[in-house]
This record gives sequence, structure tokens and C-alpha cells, in this order.
Amino acid sequence: MNEPLLSVRDLSVVYEPRGGDPVPAVTGATFELQQGDFVGLVGESGSGKSTLGFALTGLSKPPARVSAGSILFNGVDIAGLSLADLRVQRHGGFAMVLQSGMNALNPVRSIRNHFYDIFAAHGHVSRADREERAKVLVGKVELPSSVLDRFAGELSGGMRQRVSIALALSLEPKLMIFDEPTTALDVLVQHAVMNTIRELQAAEKFTAVLISHDLGMVLEVTERVMVMHEGLIVEDNTAAAILAAPQHPYTQMLLSHYGDPRAEVVEVPGLAVRGTARNVSSRVASREGRAAREAIVVSGVSKVYPPPRRGEKPVQAVSNVSFTLEPGASMALVGASGSGKSTIAKMITGVERPTSGTIRFGDLQVDTIKRRSLKRLHTEVQMVFQDPYAALNPLHTVEYILMRPILNFSQRRGQDARRRMLELLDTVGLTPVEQFAARLPHQLSGGQRQRVVIARALASDPQVIIADEPVSMLDVSLRAGLLALLDSLRETWGVSMLYITHDLLSARLVTDQIMVLNHGAVVEEGATASVLRNPQDDYTIRLLEAIPHPQTDR
Amino acid sequence: MRFLLTKVGLLVLTLWAAITLNFLLPRLMPGSPADAAIAKLAQNGPVSNATRASIEAQLGVPTGSMFDQYLQYLGNVAQFDFGVSYTFFPQSVAGLVGAALPWTLVLVGLVTIVAFIAGTLLGVLAAWKRGTWLDTLPTVGGTFASAFPYFWTALLLLFFLGYVLGWFPTSGAYGRGATPEFTGAFLLDALYHSLLPATTILITSLGGWILGMRSTMINTLGDDYVTFAEANGLRPRTVAIRYAARNAILPNLTSFGLALGGVVGGSLLVERVFNYPGVGYLLYTAVVNQDFPLMQGLFLIITISVLMANFIVDILYGILDPRTRR
Repeated sequence: MNEPLLSVRDLSVVYEPRGGDPVPAVTGATFELQQGDFVGLVGESGSGKSTLGFALTGLSKPPARVSAGSILFNGVDIAGLSLADLRVQRHGGFAMVLQSGMNALNPVRSIRNHFYDIFAAHGHVSRADREERAKVLVGKVELPSSVLDRFAGELSGGMRQRVSIALALSLEPKLMIFDEPTTALDVLVQHAVMNTIRELQAAEKFTAVLISHDLGMVLEVTERVMVMHEGLIVEDNTAAAILAAPQHPYTQMLLSHYGDPRAEVVEVPGLAVRGTARNVSSRVASREGRAAREAIVVSGVSKVYPPPRRGEKPVQAVSNVSFTLEPGASMALVGASGSGKSTIAKMITGVERPTSGTIRFGDLQVDTIKRRSLKRLHTEVQMVFQDPYAALNPLHTVEYILMRPILNFSQRRGQDARRRMLELLDTVGLTPVEQFAARLPHQLSGGQRQRVVIARALASDPQVIIADEPVSMLDVSLRAGLLALLDSLRETWGVSMLYITHDLLSARLVTDQIMVLNHGAVVEEGATASVLRNPQDDYTIRLLEAIPHPQTDR
Repeated sequence: MRFLLTKVGLLVLTLWAAITLNFLLPRLMPGSPADAAIAKLAQNGPVSNATRASIEAQLGVPTGSMFDQYLQYLGNVAQFDFGVSYTFFPQSVAGLVGAALPWTLVLVGLVTIVAFIAGTLLGVLAAWKRGTWLDTLPTVGGTFASAFPYFWTALLLLFFLGYVLGWFPTSGAYGRGATPEFTGAFLLDALYHSLLPATTILITSLGGWILGMRSTMINTLGDDYVTFAEANGLRPRTVAIRYAARNAILPNLTSFGLALGGVVGGSLLVERVFNYPGVGYLLYTAVVNQDFPLMQGLFLIITISVLMANFIVDILYGILDPRTRR
């Protein structure tokens, strides 16, 4: 075997917050990378995978500090290099593509200047050649050379991420580290960018490390996978071996959360088996009390937004969408970002008015609703938001957050209202309830926050819950739990659910009906299982193909 | 180009609105200036018809419709004719303002710009060398100096450097007996006289710029594009100036615009303390003597200077931030 390109020995990284105790982030990482390897580094948030990636490229900044071990890159220990030596090493050495490539570009410098800055810093491209070289580089990431004149704000997320890949590539690196390169992007764009990375790696023969939370994607694109959990590399094996026989229980758990939405039976831990569509009406009959009584009827709804800037065309966000959400039913609204799915949610909750068409909920005419009736609508129709970090006021305790809607929407007061609040916490599984009631949002994990958001939505005893990407910000292992909670609310309480998502697997798991939206129009609808198993529309097929499916690939 | 035209158009429009308001506001008050003067005299006894006629002749009585008056007013403004001052009769308002404006613009305007540039540079340095003495010294020093009120610093400097040590002149913009002219000797004299007031303004405003720039710069240093620039091995100086500082300065431009706009109107205290013959001192005199034509003229000049400052900052934004150019 050749001399390894990168050899990491017993590497440990600690976080040393000011005035706090040091927290180990990475402990005793040991591995080697050969020239031309394509390796995945997988773990959930807080596993230390990004911290490790930053350490490998010499970017650890206070409070993070490499506390032990060595990183031999081409035989040189970069953990011990001075900043100035490290900077010189970056040309022809190691490069990194950051997680939020959206913000990796200087908003006030043109793309061309980004390239020129790098060329000037390392002097490896002369002034005469730099324009030509920049053109070649953006060409490699499949962008036209006209992007060089643009500024970051004028490019889409996918284009920006391609530009940052081209910038990293301009260093002629031997090692490229991709830290969640596609996480912030749209499903179809994710797929395309990932393909570009794959082709580049094959053509340029650099060693690549792909850091991701998405085991499915990593297994699909890389040859070797390292799994990180709580700062430790718990498994390091070829992708095929991990897929066939995961050794560590954590890897097994991660793997169990993947499924193919096209399969006949889809199952993840904690969620009931979903075969073909079940009979809705029979279940509704068995419920008492809270069960949803009224349907949401959307007919011929369109929404046109005025042009964003003068001289541009108006934006058709939704065009002629009709559907009925039966009481107690669950329907998925699926589409990429910009497909109009969130606009539909806004119109149903009375936040936006449709340009044409009608929306009815029971005897409420939602499309022309008056301010006074809005309160009644919001008693019955509640939202669960995407970002649990932004949906809770950081200054209020969970108790306060939940008491507000109880006092607003119900007649309960005093001890009665408080009892209801604790009951809600119990329903969403935050026990012991008294302890959780006293906490502030920052003392809760992402999954717990999202449970509080769900509890808040339930406070008014709604008939309908509109869940807008409720699990997309959460770790895979938490998703199943929340989906199971939403599903059981529907089973036991009988609320109807409109589930908005771009994730077809979760749609398959918790919904019976599905509607696929593309550019504001419905392109396909029907029973979830049959649509996903037998998609007719081209767009649905592309969405399905964009999902990583390691099993069928090998 | 289109960006510039829009901004110029906007400037002309707001200018017109300001001038019109300046016309309307005094006319919304009941009576005319002559009525007010006569009423004042009437408190001490009956006013004879001759006195009344002479006061009306001196102050003028509105004739014609509001619209005619408006047209006449616009014409006067276009010729910089703001009437005659009561206090400095028979000097014209335009002449008085014209004589005072250069002193204020040069002293306060220049010092404001210098303070902004110096404070911003020190702020960049403080954030870049965070935690070292280059950070602590300007930050603590700036906070300390700007905690003093404007006029208190002025009085302290005046007392110690002016009276006790006698290093600097204690009042005026130039030596007694000198006449303003463009000669080396006079300019030197003017510079010498301006040092104390300039230092006062510099000391009190520098701290704010340092702290403001330091905090936005620290925020920008945490941004992804700065990390990415470092990951690409750019030179530290490039990262600090072109990536971090270039973005960090943008929010501070707004405060700079406010400060520039305040130059003409906000120099009252300093000019009063140093007896400096600028716009602030003139405004003080006008208010004390109820010199309405002078006040009205000054208000218009102050409004125009605020508008011009905003215009300049808008253009600066357009140059520095491509996102605003669209």
C-alpha cells in the first residue's frame, strides 16, 4: 500500500467556552485516507463530524481546540503548523466546502473577484491567465462563464454552492472536504449538485470526504463510510459492508430509518406499517368528542403575487388547485420549494387571500374571512411550523407559551387552564410534565421544541392541523418519533392533517392521500401508496429518483 | 446610471417638499409678522397709525392669493433671497448664512468625516486583533471619552489648554483684527483657532465609531464567507479588509449619514462655547433675538444639508453594496 495522503492519529478536539468547562467534541479519531479515496463521514447533529472536518483543514477556531493527536497530511503534521505556514499549504493541499454554501460568498464582491483573490493569494495563476482559468473552473461545475460578473445575491442556492465548489477546486487541492454540501438546497438541486461532486471527484482524482447527516446519500455516493456518534468514530467500513451488515447499534439504528417510499410496505421503527391506503371512514366513526367534523374544501384556488420589482412579471404561486380534506383524513402536499405548497397553507389559515377560487371550512368562507371570524378559524385550524428554533419565543417558558393559546381560545382559567397545559405536555410525550413546563426553549433539544410547537397547536382543540415540513430540521432518529406522534394524534384525537413536505418517505409514512405540486399546479393526486408506487407524472418520477436509495444502486 | 437618476429624482422631490413646508408652516400660524410686532407694542400702550404703517412697511404684509405668494416665495428661494434679518438689520439672511456656513462646514464637517474614518479603522483593528491591547485601548478609551457630554469636554479643554496653559486661543475663528482672506497667514491662524473645537468634536464622537465598527466587524468575522475565505488561504489582510470590513461598514454608513446631516444644525453647543462664527452660533443668536427671517432661512439650510447628507450616503451605498444597485 502507498503512503497515505492523510493519516489521523488519536485526534481529539475540545470546546473550551469562556468561563465554562471544556467539552470534548471529537475523541481519539484514528484513520487513514489514500489518494483518490471518496469517504463519507456520517453522524447526527452534535456528533462532532463538522468539528472533525474543520480540524482536518486546519480551521479549528476558539473555542474549539485540537487537544491531542496528530494530523499527518503528506507526512506533515498540520495540527502543529503556524497559521502562516498553514495558509501556504492550502494551495495544492486541502480545501473545504462549507455547510451553508449559500452564505459562503462575499455579498459585495463579484464572483470573478473571488477567484482573483485566491489566485493572488497563492500566486499559482498569473494575471494574464486568470480570466481564462476562472472560466474553466466555473465550467467544471457546469455554470456559464457569465456568472463571473454576478454577485452572490443574484445567484440561486444551487449556483452559489457550485461556485464555492469551483472556488475550492481553484486551489488544486489533493484533499477536498465537503461539509453538508447540499443540505440547504432543494431536493432536485441537491441531486444535481451531488452528481457534479461525484463526477468531479472521478475526473480530478482528489481525495474527498463527504460530511453529512444523511446516511442514505453517503452510502449512495461514497465507497467508504465512517459513522460518528458522540465524538467517536464508531464504525469505519466500506459502504457495501455497512449496508449489508452494520456492526454498531448506532449505525443499525440510523440505517433502520431509511426506506423506499416506493416499496409495497414501508416501515421505520416506531411507526405502524403502512400498506395500501386504509379505510378512513371506519376509523372516524370510532372516535368520540374531539373528532374533526368538518372538511376543508378548496376549489379552483389561484394566488398571484404582484411582481417583486417593477418591470417584472407577476408571480403565479398557485394556479387552480382544488381538493377536499375530509374530516379525520391525512393528506400530503408535496413539491420542491417554490411549488406553492406553503402558499396554500397560508391561504387555508387566512393569512393570505386567494386571487380567485374559494376555500370553505364548515360554514366559514375562508377566502373572504373577516377579522372577527379569524379567531374561530384559528380555534379549529392550527399550524405546526418547520423551524422549531424560530417558532418559540426564547424569553418565555414552555408553560407561558402553552398557556397563551389556552387562555385565548378556551374558557378555561386558573387551575383548570394549567391542568390542560400539563395534559398537553403529556400528550406530546414531554414527561415529567412539571419539569418541562418550567423550561425555556434553549433548554430543550430540537425534537423537544418541536413537540412544544405541536402541543401549542393542539391547545385550542383544533379539528385540523397543518404541518409545514415539521421534521425537516430534525435528526433522522428524532423524525420517526415526531411522525409517530402526529400520526397517533390523528388516530386517537381524530384531527385531520395536511402534511406539507418535500420528503416523499415521510409522506408515505403518515398520509393516506397525496397531492404533488409543481409550479403551483397539481400534477398528480391520489392514494399515497399507489401514487408513489406507480407515479405517472414526470415531475413525481424525478422527485422519487432524487431520493438516495443505496439498496437498489448496488 | 438608472440608480443615480432615481436617487437624484428623489432628492429633487424631497427638496421641493421641504421648501414647500417651510413656506406653509409660518402661514398656518394666525396673523402676520407685522400683527405680532404691533400686538407686542400694544401691550405698552396704544399704537399710532403712523407706527403701524411703518412696521407694516418694514416687515411687509402678505398680498395676493396663497398661490401667488407661493410662486413669489419659490422665486425668492431660487435667488437665495430669504429676506432681511431683524437682529443684524439691514444685512440679508442669505449674506449672514453664507458667511457662517463655510466655518461650520469646514470645521464640523471635516472633523465628522475624519472621526468616521479614523474610528472605523480603529474599530476594524480592534475586532481583528480582538483581546489584544489594540482592542482594549481604543475600546475602553473610546467609551471613556465619549461618555462625557459634548460641552463638558469643550469647557475642560478651554479651561486647561486655553486659560491655564494659554496654548490655544479661547474664542473666535481667527485672531482679532484679521480679515478673512485666502492668504497663508490667515489660513494658519484659522487652523490654529479651530484646533480646540475640532479636538472636542473628535474626542466625543470617535468612541461611537470605534465601538460601532468593532461590533459589526466581529459579527462579520463569524460569517461563512470569512471562514471560507480563510479556508481558501487568502492573505489575512485581504480577509480583514475586503471580506470582513467591507461588509461590516455597511450598517455604519447609515449612522454616518445621520451624523453628516447633523453637522450644520447640531454644532450649536460647540460653536456657542468657543464663540465660533458658524451656523450653530448664528442659530443661537436668531433664537435668542426672535429673528424669524433668519430662523426660517437657517431651518431651510439645515433641512437641505440633511437631505444632501442622505443623498451622499445613498450614493455611497450604491458604490459599496451591489445589492442596493438593482
